[in-house]
Amino acid sequence: MRDLLEISPGAQRALFRKYHIGGCASCGFRPDETLAEVCARNENLPVAEVIDYLHAAQEEDRRIQITPAELAQALEAGDARVVDVRTREEFEAARIDGAILLSQDLMQEILGRWDRSLLTIFVDHRGTRAMDAAAYFAGHGFTQTRALRGGIDAWSQDVDPSIPRYHLE
Amino acid sequence: MSDSLQDRIQQAIADPKNVGELPDADAVGTVGSPDCGDMLRMWIKFKDQDGRRVIDRATFQTFGCETAIAVASVATELISGKTADEALNLSGADLSAPLGALPPMKIHCAQLVEGALRSALAPTEAVPAPSAPIAPTLFDQLGIASEKQVKVVLHTNPQ
Repeated sequence: MRDLLEISPGAQRALFRKYHIGGCASCGFRPDETLAEVCARNENLPVAEVIDYLHAAQEEDRRIQITPAELAQALEAGDARVVDVRTREEFEAARIDGAILLSQDLMQEILGRWDRSLLTIFVDHRGTRAMDAAAYFAGHGFTQTRALRGGIDAWSQDVDPSIPRYHLE
Repeated sequence: MSDSLQDRIQQAIADPKNVGELPDADAVGTVGSPDCGDMLRMWIKFKDQDGRRVIDRATFQTFGCETAIAVASVATELISGKTADEALNLSGADLSAPLGALPPMKIHCAQLVEGALRSALAPTEAVPAPSAPIAPTLFDQLGIASEKQVKVVLHTNPQ
């Protein structure tokens, strides 16, 4: 699995979205397991089918992304919720109006109470972890999860220059 | 997953029972590591009842998926009133029984709860799950359980 994730970083997101594998400790896999071994202990998933699906995963990653301009439109229409998956320090330094910071409490509230069909946008600094977050919730049945392409850094450049850009030390 | 099972899981996580630390617990068991994000911890308080030492209350905290939360919620209710031996005789399937039969892909969520329970009540026994170090999960990537401090440096000039 280690080699697979090196070749295809989106594979873990894809595995969780469709098969509920690799999301948390309960359904995780070991780095030294083979894909065939992981398939075998998950209801004997057909390995060839899983490989085909992973090949298409890159397209699926593109599908769950939303551009800053598209997010701005959705916010203006009032039909999107924005969940920020960065650290509190980053959130306090720069954030999109109306965004809420993901915490354990919010995680349980989302899983327990939120409408799974409403558009939910995950935001991070530059767009990578937000993809993982979108996949995590998609794997829990949220049908309209998206990740902000390029993160808040792209939002600052494309939509709202008043949001400061930053880097981490 | 059947709709009814999904409904029961939804119901359990919408109003999870016994969430949080039990400050005066007699036993605490943990599976996984809070340092790396994935963890399920269970606190247990006993009381004397009719000459038997039975579980008065059990609580949990978890950074796991919704099925793990749901199983922990129903399991902590299920073991209330049982002795330690009676609770230890319960399998993951027994602990998740109020939710109905879990599909094979979700059984490890119940095993996580069973592991925390065994860790609390029989800490010298091997904890069955997780059995080996796992690769970083999607949940780890979210960093919710991380207490890592970062320094944010704002750019004063456009870059």
